[in-house]
Amino acid sequence: MSENAVVFKGTKEGLHVVLKEEMSMQEIKDNLEKKVKPSKKFFEGARIVDFRGKRLSRTEYDELKDIMQQEYGMLFLGEYRELTAEAAQDKDETKELSSSYVKLPYENVLSDDALFVRATIRSGQLIDYKGNIVIVGDVNPGAFIRATGSIVVMGNFRGVAHAGAKGDYSAFVAAFNLQPTQLRIGDIITRSPDGFINKQAIPEIAVVKKGSIVVEPYLPNK
Amino acid sequence: MGEVIVVTSGKGGVGKTTTTANLGTGLALRGKNVVLVDADIGLRNLDVVMGLENRIVYDLVDVVDGNCRLRQALIKDKRYSTLYLLPAAQTKDKSAVNPQQMQKLCQELAEEYDYVIVDCPAGIEQGFKNAIAGASRAVVVTTPEVSAVRDADRIIGLLEASGLRNPQLVINRLRIDMVKRGDMMNIDDMIDILAIDLIGVVPDDEAIVISTNRGEPAVTNEASMAGQAYRNIVRRIMGEDVPFMNLESDSGFVSRLAKMFGFKKIK
Repeated sequence: MSENAVVFKGTKEGLHVVLKEEMSMQEIKDNLEKKVKPSKKFFEGARIVDFRGKRLSRTEYDELKDIMQQEYGMLFLGEYRELTAEAAQDKDETKELSSSYVKLPYENVLSDDALFVRATIRSGQLIDYKGNIVIVGDVNPGAFIRATGSIVVMGNFRGVAHAGAKGDYSAFVAAFNLQPTQLRIGDIITRSPDGFINKQAIPEIAVVKKGSIVVEPYLPNK
Repeated sequence: MGEVIVVTSGKGGVGKTTTTANLGTGLALRGKNVVLVDADIGLRNLDVVMGLENRIVYDLVDVVDGNCRLRQALIKDKRYSTLYLLPAAQTKDKSAVNPQQMQKLCQELAEEYDYVIVDCPAGIEQGFKNAIAGASRAVVVTTPEVSAVRDADRIIGLLEASGLRNPQLVINRLRIDMVKRGDMMNIDDMIDILAIDLIGVVPDDEAIVISTNRGEPAVTNEASMAGQAYRNIVRRIMGEDVPFMNLESDSGFVSRLAKMFGFKKIK
């Protein structure tokens, strides 16, 4: 079983190093050496995105990062992160978290992959992602954004959004200025009333309530 | 080495050909060596707008196919000696040329001329791909209609995808009286959606129809508002910083006269 204490997992961005929870630092280091040493050439210059699994302290993180960069010549892209909402909410991990971590006192916290796009999404362009999508820019009419998770647009949203494309009704669509051609969450489809022009540009969120899509301000006091 | 500028829009009838003719003539007026390329194979009309239809012997497809030398196909304008036109073929269609050939052609032309202006056909198919293949810069023409703006948006996306970053926008046929009444999209709405640099606003002007039918680009008409707008666009293309003109004021003869003599606007 110690075989799998350290696992390299390939993703689109590069390799993730998955560390087993119950392993001590020493075991991890030993395992890493066992794994990498025989095929050192292969791992040289490999792009390591980040660690996964076991929660590391900053010193542990830096130590491992150092070993991988200095001794094995890998390219390490990750940075140490303080405990984020993501980690705190991850159900499997919550149990393992030591007492120094504080669980966030909010509901509606979720963690998943997210795609960040910094551009104007124009007519005819499709963004499709298994996970959440965050657009830093405008989405113009004729553009189509589809995510299995939620969609957040930091700008004007005028295109078609399909959140929860695999049937997740808890997904939402939020935008600084939400004026979609059409909104879909799961298999529910809705559109703005004909002739409706939303003059006020306030941040809004579309969620599913009682089987239909409801759009409401998410900063009610503004 | 000159610049290759493609004039495009997506939608038909918004004024690509008129804009091409006026930009080309305007640049020639300012002493530049200019060649206009009609990439609308099968539906050519840049030659008609320029009043050069009766001079066509060889065309773009002849050049690409090697039936003639490039020189032979170029038609010298009747008014400006630094302005040339490479007409499109009328009896072929868009598939007669491929993007590589267009790229080579544009490169050749850019070596000899300061500006190569390509008139793009409507649509996003082969004709569009041909037209943008050799371009280093793009001017997107739109009119204040939702459909034209939507197509312009699509085109901008496609231009960016093919590496033509930062296209510039010409808003054509704007009717300021309709905008004021709220019956027409205003400039800010369009800029808000398209999010590219505005290089000129051309008012809807009868002079354009008249000059187009006569085969004399409006840019040469000192009295026309649209002509003035095109002259400003030409200067902006050349890199000058020209303030946008006030489309409301000098519509009447009196106020224009007053302006000419330096008086303030008469109300």
